[in-house]
Amino acid sequence: MNNIRNFCIIAHIDHGKSTLADRLLQITGSISEREMQEQILDDMDLERERGITIKSHAIRMDYKRPNGEEYVYNLIDTPGHVDFAYEVSRALKACEGAILVVDAAQGIEAQTISNLYQAIDQDLEIIPVLNKIDLPGADPEGVGQQIVDLIGCDHEDILSVSGKTGEGVEALLETIVERVPGPKREDDKPLRALIFDSIFNTYRGSVAYVRVMEGVLRKGDAFRFMANGEEYNAEEIGYLKMNKEPTKELRAGEVGYVIGSVKSLQDVRVGDTITKVDNPAEEAIPGYKEAKPMVFSGIFPTQAEDFEDLRGALEKLQLNDASLSYEPETSKALGFGFRAGFLGLLHMEIVQERLDREFDIDIITTVPNVQYEVQLEGDERIGVDNPSQMPEVGDIDTIFEPYIKASIITPADYIGPVMKLCQDRRGVYVNQLFMQNNRVEITYELPMAEVVFDFYDRLKSGTRGYASLDYEFIEYRKGDLVRLDILLNGDQVDALSSITHRDKAYYLGRKVCAKLKELIPQQQFEVAVQAAIGSRIIARDTVRAIRKDVTAKCYGGDISRKRKLLEKQKAGKKRMKQVGTVEIPQEAFLAVLSMDDEDRN
Amino acid sequence: MSGLYLHIPFCKQACSYCDFYFVTSQQYKQPFVDELIKEIRSRKDTRFAAEKVRTIYFGGGTPSLLSAGQVHQILEAISETFPLELEEVTFEMNPDDVTVDYLNDLKKTGINRASMGVQSTDPDLLNFMHRAHTSEEALQCLELLHLSKFEVFTVDLIYGNPGQTITSLERDLDIILGYNPQHVSAYSLTIEPRTRLGKQVELGRIVPPEDDTIATHYDVVEKTLRAAGILQYEVSNFARPGDEAIHNSNYWEHANYLGFGPGAHSFWWETSGRAGKRWSNEKKLRSYLNGSWNSPYAEELLELPALAEERLMLGLRTRKGISEDTLQEKYEVSFSPAQTEYLHRMEQQGKVITGNRIQLTTKGLKIADTILLDLLTI
Ligand SMILES: Nc1nc2c(ncn2[C@@H]2O[C@H](COP(=O)(O)OP(=O)(O)OP(=O)(O)O)[C@@H](O)[C@H]2O)c(=O)[nH]1
Ligand code: SF4
Ligand SMILES: [Mg+2]
Repeated sequence: MNNIRNFCIIAHIDHGKSTLADRLLQITGSISEREMQEQILDDMDLERERGITIKSHAIRMDYKRPNGEEYVYNLIDTPGHVDFAYEVSRALKACEGAILVVDAAQGIEAQTISNLYQAIDQDLEIIPVLNKIDLPGADPEGVGQQIVDLIGCDHEDILSVSGKTGEGVEALLETIVERVPGPKREDDKPLRALIFDSIFNTYRGSVAYVRVMEGVLRKGDAFRFMANGEEYNAEEIGYLKMNKEPTKELRAGEVGYVIGSVKSLQDVRVGDTITKVDNPAEEAIPGYKEAKPMVFSGIFPTQAEDFEDLRGALEKLQLNDASLSYEPETSKALGFGFRAGFLGLLHMEIVQERLDREFDIDIITTVPNVQYEVQLEGDERIGVDNPSQMPEVGDIDTIFEPYIKASIITPADYIGPVMKLCQDRRGVYVNQLFMQNNRVEITYELPMAEVVFDFYDRLKSGTRGYASLDYEFIEYRKGDLVRLDILLNGDQVDALSSITHRDKAYYLGRKVCAKLKELIPQQQFEVAVQAAIGSRIIARDTVRAIRKDVTAKCYGGDISRKRKLLEKQKAGKKRMKQVGTVEIPQEAFLAVLSMDDEDRN
Repeated sequence: MSGLYLHIPFCKQACSYCDFYFVTSQQYKQPFVDELIKEIRSRKDTRFAAEKVRTIYFGGGTPSLLSAGQVHQILEAISETFPLELEEVTFEMNPDDVTVDYLNDLKKTGINRASMGVQSTDPDLLNFMHRAHTSEEALQCLELLHLSKFEVFTVDLIYGNPGQTITSLERDLDIILGYNPQHVSAYSLTIEPRTRLGKQVELGRIVPPEDDTIATHYDVVEKTLRAAGILQYEVSNFARPGDEAIHNSNYWEHANYLGFGPGAHSFWWETSGRAGKRWSNEKKLRSYLNGSWNSPYAEELLELPALAEERLMLGLRTRKGISEDTLQEKYEVSFSPAQTEYLHRMEQQGKVITGNRIQLTTKGLKIADTILLDLLTI
């Protein structure tokens, strides 16, 4: 009997994947009442704080059917946020089935569709599940119809559950046995195990999470990473239970972990295939795409002496987050730092927060941007992920920028505002599709640079929170782009350069100057703030010199207070960056971001 | 030598800019005086009574809401508790409380320096400040003071008010100078967050003047007073040479002082000690009356480096400045090369005078906060 079921839970963000996973763990007795807490699989601090899943989490459960049969369930809970879509794609590869969760009050959203298509591409058995049926606003009929229209299934195929109350979850457990096919058990083929995730443990080094596709891996076996040929010994292998459970072998169809004295995670590459040194497989498991960074930003230590600490911290972060990339960068304004690549803005925020929180390093970040491709005069074509490295105008033949395909699902009442937003952001209309419940899916092609900033916030506020957004990279396209430089007292501040569409450059220049005027504290001398394209100044503002700032009174009772204020000012001043003779606060480096949308368009 | 500060926490009404501690109810005046006397006497035979008292300062609140008899009681208690070698006894008063008799009686108690809270003579500004006195009362009391022959009388003035014109400021100065004061304290209006004014500014109902305007006011004040022989010796204090306030100057030189009354601060640094102490009473009349002064409400110990920084902060506010010798001998610090270089740069800009003493010029004093911060972070 084939008693293994490998499946993942996929859904739009917040539709209740992790909560449903809680119930599955609870009902199968995989976790004791004492250990139980909400969204237990979200075990990173940041996940718990933000209430979202950032990383996939794999867990093994024992399920005993009412008829007494015993099954092993390997579940992978996935994140819903678009930044982490690649996590979903990895998880899907390790499974035969996917539970597609849809919030019965919200209905189908952008990531519901994109995740579903990914699962279909992988030939997974889909179990559609209406969740949150306990909510008063739940609309099982309407949303059920949306699902039927989307998947082409029957109404009877859809399960109704509440991850909160546990209603319907037992039926779901049974349905998994019935509908998700068991994995092929090709034990006798040469070993091929897919690495679908990896974590770094300070004591054990890298731990690879694998799905054995074919063959058997035994404890002590010599194994090889097929991507780079590095070989290790399987020191410990085991099952991914709530507490890791060592075992002697992992057979075809099983999911587990491998620890192989792999101290550096560079060798453990998610998507790679593990095979055995004797009797190796001929080919790796195909079809894995690496997670590509989409946005880039400079990260600099506030105090120059923290540079090495920052490097160490980034190295450590990367061990657990292979999608983070970085390389050293030197800025005239900010000194030594790194240019880092992220999957999206949320990912960037999370990395910055971890640097600050887990490593206690005070950092300055620059405005994020996308990666451009520049066709130089002559034949050469280069990638530019840092505005200050954009070649001089004369050397550029053409600049190409990344475009994405965005699909936006919104109630039909908001079609107008959504389209206006997309047009303002240089979008190219593709089509719109009407769905059940008066909802519509609008597709646009947009320059990614216009979407990564605050597009999502604008979309949300323009649709009273109802719209959802999903996007994927499509291609590079030609763009009429220019580099906008900022000069302070005549000196160009490299960290403040940005790349923008020519039509928006004037406006942006004026606004950035005005914002900087607001942010840069008055100094003993006047500071000229200028925006320029090449050598042409297009905007100017002035921070006037301080005329008078001295505190009026300082008698016996004022001294303590004044000294405490001084301490604060000293700390604030230490965090400023000296650029030439001018002192700039950290916020200034994000000035472009802190402008509101009316400012930007 | 030490100074005593007495906080008299009563006012007739709340001025719109004021964040001093006071109550507007007058019913606890005598209980307060009794308690104040208790607090004073509690220092008898302590180490604080070992030093001779050189200055006494009645501040507030509004000391002139006390009767001369009450003032007498307080001074009696002081003389029975502390050894005295008095040079200056200052008494703050508001124009609406002053009569010929009151001034005479005060003089008899030993007050030799009268400090008058005029703030402005412009009726509109007085109204804006929500002062209890009228413009006429201000002029009357100046006249009385002028005639009363205290050793020194000083007048408080506020400039840089929203909407205040240079002409109005010049008129204020002219009128005050007409009465020939020996000393003037001129404060640029400070907008404190928890005051009526602060709230109105926060709500956008009042727009504070630009710092350019305030800087011009400052210049007008300094020039006009200088022309009358009244010279700036601290950011906001001006005097005829020799008539500078002793009590207040002591604050800026880390002399010891004891504060009595709710919210009063004290500072004590033994001559041989390597740390000084600051503490204060709770700002609450009710608990003061219940003896809260028995234990300090807030207290901090300042080691030499903190004291040095403080001294720089205070010293740079005075025209006299601070001598490098003092910094070295008393505070065991000296300027780093970067600091020295900075000070020379400021000297070239006419903001600092270097030499054995580091002094800010009138121009430098205007931006003393910036200079101090630069100096401490360079
Ligand atoms: N009323 C109700 N609320 C639910 C139910 N399931 C989840 N929720 C709530 O929905 C919110 C999101 O739940 P999660 O389980 O974190 O959602 P998720 O899909 O894992 O979210 P991401 O991993 O961030 O994409 C939480 O506030 C849950 O308490 C349900 O069945 N009923
Ligand atoms: S300014 Fe003086 S009189 Fe006015 S409230 Fe403050 S303490 Fe009282
Ligand atoms: Mg989740």
